[in-house]
Amino acid sequence: MQELVLIQPGRAAEKEFAQEAAQAALRREFEERLAECGSLAYRVARGVLRNGADAEDVAQEALLRAYRRFERLRDRTRFRAWLVRIAFRLAIDRARSSKRREVRETLWSQTAPRPSTEDLAATSEFQRHLDRAMEELAEKHRLVLLLAAMQGHSLEEVAEMLDLPMGTVKSRLFFAKKQLAEKLRCHVKTIGKR
Amino acid sequence: MPCENYREALIEAAAAHSEPSRELRSHLDACASCRAIFTEEVQLFAAIDTGLRAIANVEVPASLLPGVRVQLNGRPVARRSWVPASAALAAAAALVVVLVCFHDFGRDAAKLNPRVNSVAHNVSPAAVQPIPPTPAPYERGVLPGKNKTLRPVGTQAALEVEEVAVLIPPGQKQAIDALLVSVQKGKVEADVLLAEKPTGTLEELQVSRLDISPIEVRPLADVSGESTPLNEGTRR
Repeated sequence: MQELVLIQPGRAAEKEFAQEAAQAALRREFEERLAECGSLAYRVARGVLRNGADAEDVAQEALLRAYRRFERLRDRTRFRAWLVRIAFRLAIDRARSSKRREVRETLWSQTAPRPSTEDLAATSEFQRHLDRAMEELAEKHRLVLLLAAMQGHSLEEVAEMLDLPMGTVKSRLFFAKKQLAEKLRCHVKTIGKR
Repeated sequence: MPCENYREALIEAAAAHSEPSRELRSHLDACASCRAIFTEEVQLFAAIDTGLRAIANVEVPASLLPGVRVQLNGRPVARRSWVPASAALAAAAALVVVLVCFHDFGRDAAKLNPRVNSVAHNVSPAAVQPIPPTPAPYERGVLPGKNKTLRPVGTQAALEVEEVAVLIPPGQKQAIDALLVSVQKGKVEADVLLAEKPTGTLEELQVSRLDISPIEVRPLADVSGESTPLNEGTRR
């Protein structure tokens, strides 16, 4: 004889609806933050990568990752800090892999990839030197510099975002700027002499 | 004090955008070369700040958020069940199979269990209880029982689903769940689950009483050789 099991189909459907409702609420909450923090992710990525298209890719990936893990974020007020870390980490990884790719490509072809018109327009000579100098900074210094330079970010907010004491943020900022100045001093003199 | 000793303080004052200390200020007033260096340093740090602001506040492309939303809509919002959407049809078929099994199960049980038969045969017609009246046929779109509206779906009317326990084969639980979810979402019409409303009226079953003639008891016929009149009759 055929074995039978007892089920309550209505219960399973209710469970499914409850899950969907929770998911919809989560999506709404994330959407609110998306509008507010999307630019932050992009700017962090752009600061590291110095390329608009790559930065957009990374920012989108960071936001999608944030959404996937949003449910697990216990303190939702920490979303900005969390997103900054995700975007920064992804941008650093992308920069490293593209650097490796660039090295591989230059072995085959000596022609470097041409920057876009937008990139050319946005970068003056000093800006290029600054970008390069930024790249040589330690990651922790670079992130503090970027966040502190973003409009509307006070040092207190940067400290909160990075979960660091205010004194640490100030000292990292000061140290990073001094390092940049050391790298750029000679360039400023040569640019000024022209 | 030589100018070299003021160099570090001079850079730090420029980097921090702070006023030089009194001692440094008096040196700068007296030393034209240090004053020039200080001016250069202030300009350098101002240029760095401007450059950093340019890097950090680039215009965000308009395609960023729509791109994210497209990808968010593209990926499953809820944890997707492993049962595909086409399983709804399979589940409907499974329901039919279950109903047929139940139907046959009742018959088989009666065949397999002789006690059921004997009990049924021993009951006198007088002991048979009248069949309770059949409940009114269900209206289309509503299932029987204590109805509970689970959720309004895309269709005009809210679908009402009974919350009852159902016996099904063990392997078909997922399929039944998927079917119910599909029905509640409006992907599958609930009509497929409902029986047709009978058009005719049911008449009461009439059972006529059995007439059993009394049994005639006779002695056994002689088997010694003489034929009985009955045997003779059959030979002819």
